[in-house]
Amino acid sequence: MNPDDLQKNIKWGTIVVLAVIAILFSVLDRSNNLGRFFDFVRNPLTAVSSITTSSIDPVADIANAPLTLSSARAEIEELQARVDTLERENEELHEIESAFNLLQSLFNRASQAPNIERVMANVIGRDPSAVVQSIIIDRGKGDEVQVGMPVEAARGLVGQMFRTTNDAGQIVLISDTASSIPVRLGSSRATGLLRGGGQGVPMIVDWIDLKYRLEVGEVVLTSGLGGKFPEDIVVGRVSEVDRNEAKLFQRAFVQPAVDFSALEMVFVIINFESVDSDIFTDPSVR
Amino acid sequence: MGSTVYLGLPLMAILALLQTAVFPRFPILNIMPQLILLAALAWGLLRGVTEGVVWAFIGGFMLDMFTIAPMGLSAVSYMTAVFTVVFLQESLPSSRFFAPLIMAGIGTIIVALTYQITARLLGYPLILQTFIHLPQTILINMILMLPIYWSMSSLYNRLRPRRVHL
Repeated sequence: MNPDDLQKNIKWGTIVVLAVIAILFSVLDRSNNLGRFFDFVRNPLTAVSSITTSSIDPVADIANAPLTLSSARAEIEELQARVDTLERENEELHEIESAFNLLQSLFNRASQAPNIERVMANVIGRDPSAVVQSIIIDRGKGDEVQVGMPVEAARGLVGQMFRTTNDAGQIVLISDTASSIPVRLGSSRATGLLRGGGQGVPMIVDWIDLKYRLEVGEVVLTSGLGGKFPEDIVVGRVSEVDRNEAKLFQRAFVQPAVDFSALEMVFVIINFESVDSDIFTDPSVR
Repeated sequence: MGSTVYLGLPLMAILALLQTAVFPRFPILNIMPQLILLAALAWGLLRGVTEGVVWAFIGGFMLDMFTIAPMGLSAVSYMTAVFTVVFLQESLPSSRFFAPLIMAGIGTIIVALTYQITARLLGYPLILQTFIHLPQTILINMILMLPIYWSMSSLYNRLRPRRVHL
């Protein structure tokens, strides 16, 4: 064999061997028989790769910084705009939710006592005076609202119509110092007279017999006595009991059920016929 | 004075509406500013005691339209405050900054006292809560007095241009 033929044979032999090895590796790897071998090789490679990458990354970051920064800024602006939109949508949904809750509570209240006919009214103003407690509503004589009609809200009693014009009315709140309403306590069944305390002063149920054991948290309801208010309208809850055995009567401080400062809508009860009790108090009315 | 009455009527009506229908929705420190008092005080400081008291009368009655308290209670207390404050101002050095501030503070105290005393005389109970909130009310009124005073001053200058001597 001449040397040229020998070289040619070695060249082709190498190619064939390498091809066979490659195919063999492929087959073996495909059948998962080369894992250990390649792990032996891969482990140091990945370790080196990791070190290299970690040392290259800062450099690459610096190199790509202007491009990345500008795209990041653009992305932040885009995301900020989306956040703003979502926040606005969230606020709108909260508003819808609170309006829904309010209407639902009003509906629940109306369905609890279907025999009572009510006119719904919006609160449009508040009394600027410091000595009296009243609110102004957008219903008046034109809506069958008359002086003396009881007024309630979703959570409980609000007051009584004090003055009406054709399109508006003024309600004296139960927290006003001039207000006095006969009430009954829910669990003890004690009766008494609820008096308003004025601005920032708690309401008090007075003239409660000592034989009753009052409890803090007891519900206070209208008793219907006196004929000015329908019975069983929630007024509030007992927050404190003032009991002294040396006295003839005890009294209870009441936390109103209605937040008068946050009132937006009220119901005027228009089909309640109050009893005229003036005949018992005013001798001229006979 | 006639023209300022015509001006005072709609202005005080608007302020009364703001004070009863708008500001209660946005209380500052849980306090409602007394816009009518401040406007009447500012006008009194600019135009003299008579016009100030007339504006206080109009504004007070406008406010009394929205309350179940006796009619005229606010008018009496505002008129007393404006009269006293404008009277006091004449004996103090004039300043476009400090005078309105001090007068707003004094006016607020006088209104609170007069209102409570008059209401007590009419059979209403004394509401101590008013006095507890008095410092906040004074502060809010003092803060609002400057913009109101300057607005009134500019209105006054437009109504009555300065006389030029040739």
